[in-house]
Amino acid sequence: MKGRGDEVEQALQAPTRRELAAALSRRARPLTLPEVSRLTRRLEQLDEPTRPLRVALVRTYTTELLRPYWRFEALLHGLMIALCEAPYGSLLEAVQPGSQLAAHAPEVTYFFLRWEDIEPEFTRHGVSPPAGDAAVTSALETLGAMLRAARRALPGRLVVTMLPRMSGPGLGIYDAMAAPSEADLRALLKRRLAASVRDELPAVSFDDLDILVEEVGRRTFFDPRLWHSARFPFSVAGAQAVVRQMMTYALLLKEPAAKVVVLDGDNTLWGGIVGEDGMDGIALGPEYPGSAYVAFQRRLLALRQRGLLLALCSRNNEADVRQLLAEHPHQLLRTEHFAALRVNWDSKPDNLRALAAELNLGLDSLVFVDDSAHECLAVRRALPQVTVVQTPTEPAELPGCLDGLARLEILTLTDEDRTRTALYAQERQRRARAAASDDVEQYLGSLEMVMTVGLDDVRQAARIAQLTQKTTQFNLTTRRYSEADIRRFAADPDWLVAHFALADVFGDSGVVGVALVRGLGDASAEIDTFLMSCRVIGRRAETAFLAHLLDVLAQRGVRAIQATYEPTARNALVREFWGAHGFSGGPQAFRLELATRGGGAGPPPIRIRQLAEAPAGSAA
Amino acid sequence: MGRDDFETVRELVALTFGVPAESITRDTAREDVPSWDSLGHLNLMLGLEDTFQITLTVDEIGRLSSVAAIIDYLQSAGAP
Repeated sequence: MKGRGDEVEQALQAPTRRELAAALSRRARPLTLPEVSRLTRRLEQLDEPTRPLRVALVRTYTTELLRPYWRFEALLHGLMIALCEAPYGSLLEAVQPGSQLAAHAPEVTYFFLRWEDIEPEFTRHGVSPPAGDAAVTSALETLGAMLRAARRALPGRLVVTMLPRMSGPGLGIYDAMAAPSEADLRALLKRRLAASVRDELPAVSFDDLDILVEEVGRRTFFDPRLWHSARFPFSVAGAQAVVRQMMTYALLLKEPAAKVVVLDGDNTLWGGIVGEDGMDGIALGPEYPGSAYVAFQRRLLALRQRGLLLALCSRNNEADVRQLLAEHPHQLLRTEHFAALRVNWDSKPDNLRALAAELNLGLDSLVFVDDSAHECLAVRRALPQVTVVQTPTEPAELPGCLDGLARLEILTLTDEDRTRTALYAQERQRRARAAASDDVEQYLGSLEMVMTVGLDDVRQAARIAQLTQKTTQFNLTTRRYSEADIRRFAADPDWLVAHFALADVFGDSGVVGVALVRGLGDASAEIDTFLMSCRVIGRRAETAFLAHLLDVLAQRGVRAIQATYEPTARNALVREFWGAHGFSGGPQAFRLELATRGGGAGPPPIRIRQLAEAPAGSAA
Repeated sequence: MGRDDFETVRELVALTFGVPAESITRDTAREDVPSWDSLGHLNLMLGLEDTFQITLTVDEIGRLSSVAAIIDYLQSAGAP
């Protein structure tokens, strides 16, 4: 069996950064520090172009010994890290405007904190019940004040971590039975901290390092010698695990979001080759190795809760696979669980291009999973934007093989994310009906569409911000806003935040369109943002929404509208949008006098429902 | 065997501190290498543990501040 050293040797011979990273991607055991140094030196020798990554650290224990891992993990992903560590032990001072950290303009700020260092009762008693109930409130208030200050002073994302306990509970094995127990206390602190971060502060994540300790084991994670001599808690293995986890947040900022996991069939979702072994001959069921494939399918099903889509790309006769998906008793992923399927004898790169086109997504939002080294290499070479994962040869290792893949992690979760697969199933039904009817107007009318429009509705702030960040095609100006920005606009009397949701006989597409309008004074306004999810392209919703928006603005006394088209590589489809809707000017700056608008195509068959404006101060 | 130890230690010191291997001799001590600071020293000690499959105590970590001290330690501890 191949030793871990062979992976490192292979990586050191790799001619490109991507191939070096691929050679290491299967590493189950951590690298040694000399290996990290050698690999870093190799990456530096390859001298491929990098993008900068600005990171700041706030800490109550020393973090300097993490530096080799930061440099290595960043370089592995083509990033040159610029690290700024706040003066050791300074919390509130470090996160003030005008501080060294603020001047560094970090993209991500990591907080390496310890409960015992921020709350005197925990310093005295440890994180245990004798510290008293007031200690919980006090600790959370201290953290809350510091994080609020940090959120005001620092740009980018904040990631908060609390050091896991370095030794077992004082009561030993009895702690689990005690009331109250140390376990309860730690769980309570985590739960309250996570809730306050989630509900009160935008673009802040709480990362639970206890999960890493579960993976690696406390004895392996911590190095007491370094703790006592240098106040640095982590072993080489622990340090690596922590930095890899933290890099996940940076990667999610730097790389486009993954949206689809494209799966091979044979020897990936089931053992064997269905075309040769037949549906009854493949391994898929309660006995090993079939049980491993079932467990993998279950894990994939769960990925949909993150808002990820699944697609199937299998070189097989379509009839064989369709039958398997419909009839095999242990197949968990049925046809309706896939947003798209390509079962044919074309090449994988061609099929992936076709899948991306069908789903209206860029290739850079695909993660491709296949057992074949040959197929993986072909896709890596033909489509460098696609993340390629080769499944392990050992079936027992299959179910967990996508765990911890940074591109599949999420930073936020909206209701839209949870129901995304169902939305794609609905869209397939609409397309089937459209293909069956000759008259577009008749098809659209048969959908019985209802558009629900909301104005300055902060309850949708997260979804509205998500749309400004993710929509690339039907987007007139491609301005990206955070949830905090949207809330600010909604509260600002000079701005109007409008959104729409679209429903029809096949289902509710959810909130899919956004317009942000800024008053310019003297009865004129500028449309800062006008965008729509590609999910609802083709139903003329944009026309209905724009008409309604202009009505609303006219009612508010606006007489002249300015609008812009800012061309990008992806939004050519809306180049003529303003012109087609009665605006004059172009190719980039447009104007409309509201009194003189009219004409153009007849109104689309969409009924509009205007939500009553949410009362001021409604909870988000 | 002593010669092999020296070559391995020399390579590790060069790798850890980013200096040419030729600049490291049996007489090289911490003061001679600018980047052999307290941080770098800990990284060197961790590298020694992985390279020679040994475990050092906090005291030993503090003591092994020169190539000569490291070689002496490896030979007296009978590292394979």
